[in-house]
Amino acid sequence: MEPRKVTFPHMGEYWIGFKALAERMGCEVVVPPRMTVQTLELGTRHSPEFVCVPFKYNLGNFIEAIELGANTIIQAVGGCRFGYYAEVQAAILKDLGYDVKFIRLDAGRNPLDMVRGFRDKMGTNKSFRDVKDAFFFAARLGLAIDEIQDFARKNLGFQVTPGQIERIETKYLARLAAATNIREVDAIRQEAKAELGSVALDRPENPLRVAILGELYLVLEPFSNYDIGRQLALRGIEVHQPLTITEMINHSIKGFKHVDELIAHSGGWVDHHLGAHGTESVSLSYTLMKEGFDGVIHLKPFGCMPEVNAMSAMQKLSREYTFPILFISYDSQTAETGVNTRIEAFCDMLEMRKKGVVSA
Amino acid sequence: MTARTRIGLPRAMLYHKYHVLWSTFFEELGCETVVSPQTNKRIVVRGAALAVDESCLSMKIFLGHVEALKGLADHILVPTIASEIKGEEACVKLMAACDIARHSVDDISLITYVVNERRAIPEKREMLRLGKMFSKNPFKVRAAYKKAKLTQYAHDRELAREQKSLLNQPWDAPRILLVGHAYNNHDEFIGMPVKRYLESLGATVFDSEAFDHDLARQLYANISTDVKWTYNKQLLGAVEYYRDKVDGMIFLVTFPCGPDSLMVELCQRKLTDVPIATLVLDELTGEAGLRTRLESLVDILRMEAANKQGDVASKESEAPRGAA
Repeated sequence: MEPRKVTFPHMGEYWIGFKALAERMGCEVVVPPRMTVQTLELGTRHSPEFVCVPFKYNLGNFIEAIELGANTIIQAVGGCRFGYYAEVQAAILKDLGYDVKFIRLDAGRNPLDMVRGFRDKMGTNKSFRDVKDAFFFAARLGLAIDEIQDFARKNLGFQVTPGQIERIETKYLARLAAATNIREVDAIRQEAKAELGSVALDRPENPLRVAILGELYLVLEPFSNYDIGRQLALRGIEVHQPLTITEMINHSIKGFKHVDELIAHSGGWVDHHLGAHGTESVSLSYTLMKEGFDGVIHLKPFGCMPEVNAMSAMQKLSREYTFPILFISYDSQTAETGVNTRIEAFCDMLEMRKKGVVSA
Repeated sequence: MTARTRIGLPRAMLYHKYHVLWSTFFEELGCETVVSPQTNKRIVVRGAALAVDESCLSMKIFLGHVEALKGLADHILVPTIASEIKGEEACVKLMAACDIARHSVDDISLITYVVNERRAIPEKREMLRLGKMFSKNPFKVRAAYKKAKLTQYAHDRELAREQKSLLNQPWDAPRILLVGHAYNNHDEFIGMPVKRYLESLGATVFDSEAFDHDLARQLYANISTDVKWTYNKQLLGAVEYYRDKVDGMIFLVTFPCGPDSLMVELCQRKLTDVPIATLVLDELTGEAGLRTRLESLVDILRMEAANKQGDVASKESEAPRGAA
């Protein structure tokens, strides 16, 4: 058998973690090229008509990576249609004449189960301990990425020297990509924290605070949402994004308890789990509103099942409390200008509300 | 003596799978069951207005039915089905149906029972809990559940048996398998017009729902190994069983159904030995366009069948139909 060349779908900057994980399995890694409009076009051309848009992005990533020599694809599995991506994508790639092997990264019943399953499917000669360490290392990278990006989102709009935070972010992400062990990652994280902490900020006393919620892929992949987080931040808004890989790791440890907690804190807005991150969307909308946030932006692919479920509660919540929530659906045909216009109008409205120009 | 409690059953979604179970259960407990009318234009229009735009047509129709029961029932039953079999899932719409109904239709009293085998919440326990709302006598509730379960089982078996007997009947028109969820195939707005029109054209229509679910569970893996949705497994099992017994298949999908968007794609790629047509329906579907497509499909299948039969007849005069 020819040597494994592993690839995986892009999602934000987390490729750093995926790459580290696959490399530690002793595989050569082909990181898919940065996403472009072509990636989406390529994916859309070969995808079912009304599948959700992350499927199309993933497929585009795969084809581009296969063209660069990849022959093995790691695809994660989730609690909605996402759980069924791999088999259909495998059938599509096979019909296109590509000979690739899919490895499902199954969440399993608990993290231990996940590590064991992954080890078996990779058919690696690494010990369980090595595989477990690889997961820990990848997770630690994820935490570091989240910490840096979280700071950037919250402060980007207030920096005195434009571009300074972005430069620091790029620098440390590059260093994380080159890190080889956990100690190094922690050191980089500390350094980044110190350097980011010393950035001169001109922060108003009470800035607008907006949270981005919704479907995981669209929230985490800035290319797919036209970098909404940055757009908002540059308008002087403190952007919060509760969904991150850090959060995902916490979920997988807590299991069902996590959902129960969300339901308990939803103020009666949700009684049963809505699937994937639907419960989060409703429950967090409620808690963030209570915390005094100025608004929520809810992102989802067109037809996303869990997030559409969440919307009926969120729309009612928004009406009853006159709490601004902007719902945006993305598909392969969504135009960036259209999204930008809606974001601008939403921000204008939030600013006017804050100044008391309009009430409700 | 107070009037009997009226339990509303929306004639949509899982009603088409479990109506026997529900009506037997509540009637045994001394409740009256009220079923919403057959889906009509008004229900569809109201449902589309109540639902989030991007909901599937089946969900829109469901909300229309829930609203139609307003004022006619004391409680409306909307089950929360997350996972009927360990390791499997139901569509997330069915998990959330109760929450969606609650937030979309005002002034109704909903009752629900949860089935989530992944968290070890079995149907029996939850239905007994529900039953105790209407009867103080736990033995009566148990007996009601048992009878309901058996009646439902007999009903399903009868449907499957009837359909099986169709296979042995002589035929000359094309045989078509209508592949769709129970709530689509049996809905008066979605599947029934398609079925009736096909039959008026002389086709014999098989229903993917009237099929032995246990058998389906043994067969589905020939097409898909990864699928986790219980109901899609049942559909795939029926597809696998009938693929060499029918002349063509129609996949009946409501826009934008999540599970089916992937399942249909997989079937189109993997089933190369049987003609497949996909009908995607939404609340705006025009009947004329639909009829034209069905007519041409039946024509094509009839020609194909005639060709095939001609070949077979020349070889073995007895066999009604050759293997595909």
